[in-house]
Amino acid sequence: MLEAQALYSYYGKSPILQDVDFSVEEGGFLGIVGRNGVGKTTLLRTIMGLTDRAAGSLLFQGENLLGMRTPQRAGAGIAYIPQGREVIPRFTVRENLLMGTFPRKDGARTIPEHIFELFPILADFIDRRGGDLSGGQQQQLAIGRALAMDPKVLLLDEPTEGIQPNIVQQLEDVMRRLNKEMGLTIVLVEQNTRFVRQTADHFVLLDKGRVAMRGRGEELTNEVVDRYLAL
Amino acid sequence: MEAWVNEIFIGISLASILLMVAIGLAIIYGTMGVINLAHGQFVMLGAYGAWLLQTQYGVSIVVSLPVVFLVVGLVGFVVERTIIQRLYHRPLDTILATWGIGIVLEQLVRNVFGSSSRYVARPEFLEGGYIILGAHASSYRLFIIFFSLGMLAATWYLLFRTEFGTKLRSVIQNTEISECYGISAKRVYALTFAYGAGLAGIAGALITPLVSVTPTMGTSLVVDAFLVVIVGGVGSLVGTAASALMIGEATAWLSYVLNDTTGRILILLGVIVLIRFRPQGLFPDTVRR
Repeated sequence: MLEAQALYSYYGKSPILQDVDFSVEEGGFLGIVGRNGVGKTTLLRTIMGLTDRAAGSLLFQGENLLGMRTPQRAGAGIAYIPQGREVIPRFTVRENLLMGTFPRKDGARTIPEHIFELFPILADFIDRRGGDLSGGQQQQLAIGRALAMDPKVLLLDEPTEGIQPNIVQQLEDVMRRLNKEMGLTIVLVEQNTRFVRQTADHFVLLDKGRVAMRGRGEELTNEVVDRYLAL
Repeated sequence: MEAWVNEIFIGISLASILLMVAIGLAIIYGTMGVINLAHGQFVMLGAYGAWLLQTQYGVSIVVSLPVVFLVVGLVGFVVERTIIQRLYHRPLDTILATWGIGIVLEQLVRNVFGSSSRYVARPEFLEGGYIILGAHASSYRLFIIFFSLGMLAATWYLLFRTEFGTKLRSVIQNTEISECYGISAKRVYALTFAYGAGLAGIAGALITPLVSVTPTMGTSLVVDAFLVVIVGGVGSLVGTAASALMIGEATAWLSYVLNDTTGRILILLGVIVLIRFRPQGLFPDTVRR
């Protein structure tokens, strides 16, 4: 459903990603791992069209993403949950969730109920401002906002980074449920290799902007981690 | 006593005009970070629009307001699409460019209509006035006051109760993530610029019965409007309204008690002292990030 071939991506003139290939099938779960600064975030940003320039082939459901502007990519059903969450600080929780419905093709502006089942705290804090929530609550809001567009694929960038352990557990459960029970395709950038090994169908290991290794989730063994990811 | 009430009243009506010019400036600066030096010329275009409609077609100024809003708004839209949008990452260049656009608009008007003063009559049903607390309040000035309060309310509604307003506020706070959620920042910018220009046009049309219409009429008004934005702080409608009232009243009073020139000097000094101690203005929009 999402497929890249010989993908290059640039900030200014420097190529951050070079010759990257990957693919995720419908309902799949792809983990993207690697050390800091190897291009994991850039890979997600390239899928959303947020880098200066990209070349190669990037297809989503057969359509060429590289020819689309960022809002159109959202309209095609790609939901992006960036690192640092980036909820709108002066918007209430309700407005942040409403914003998630803007890319919807059917024009609906109702917030799907299942978001409040996944994250009951959002219903409790519906009129609080996004900027006043804790990090963990903001992350739940960011995922809720993404789900409000009824997406086909979810791109998550280190959703558990800097978040208290009990919420990390909840977020991991939610990602698993969304993927396994609701069939949502997920691309996850993650430092936590344990979670990727347990949950992802496949993984791609980036190093210096290139794919250094790829495999099935369970193949992300401790030896691989020690070899490529140890500091 | 009458004289006092009279000055207060003139101050308020001055403030109402300033408010409409300033809201346009503030919304354009707050959204795109563009300091629009052509704003005064948008005011002037609005005034000429009202004059043209009245002399050519006999249209009353009240009827011409929506037409002027749309036409000057369209001018703003075209200016944004053709020039400003290419300069968003170059703030200094936008200042130069909008200054240049202002000069071009002003000269165009001078070439077409000449530089002599033009006059516009107030509508008949707004002739005369009322006696309030012993002072004379002209109906037309009252109309301006209520009309600009109406535009303030309409702007508030647009920003906080419509989907366009939600998109606009979202783009202001985080352009990149807004685009990731289907909002076209380009479209929002163009429409916002058009709206600000349209408001300036309306202000220009509204003052035509009170001042003479000339190609340079916008300049002094826009200087005061900039003062309003600076004093009020960007990002707050209430702040803009309150500071328009302050500047309007100060102008009316100081030119009454002293004279116009000394009054202006004192106002400028006052604003300079104020931004020395509160550079963010009196009513900045604060939020935890």
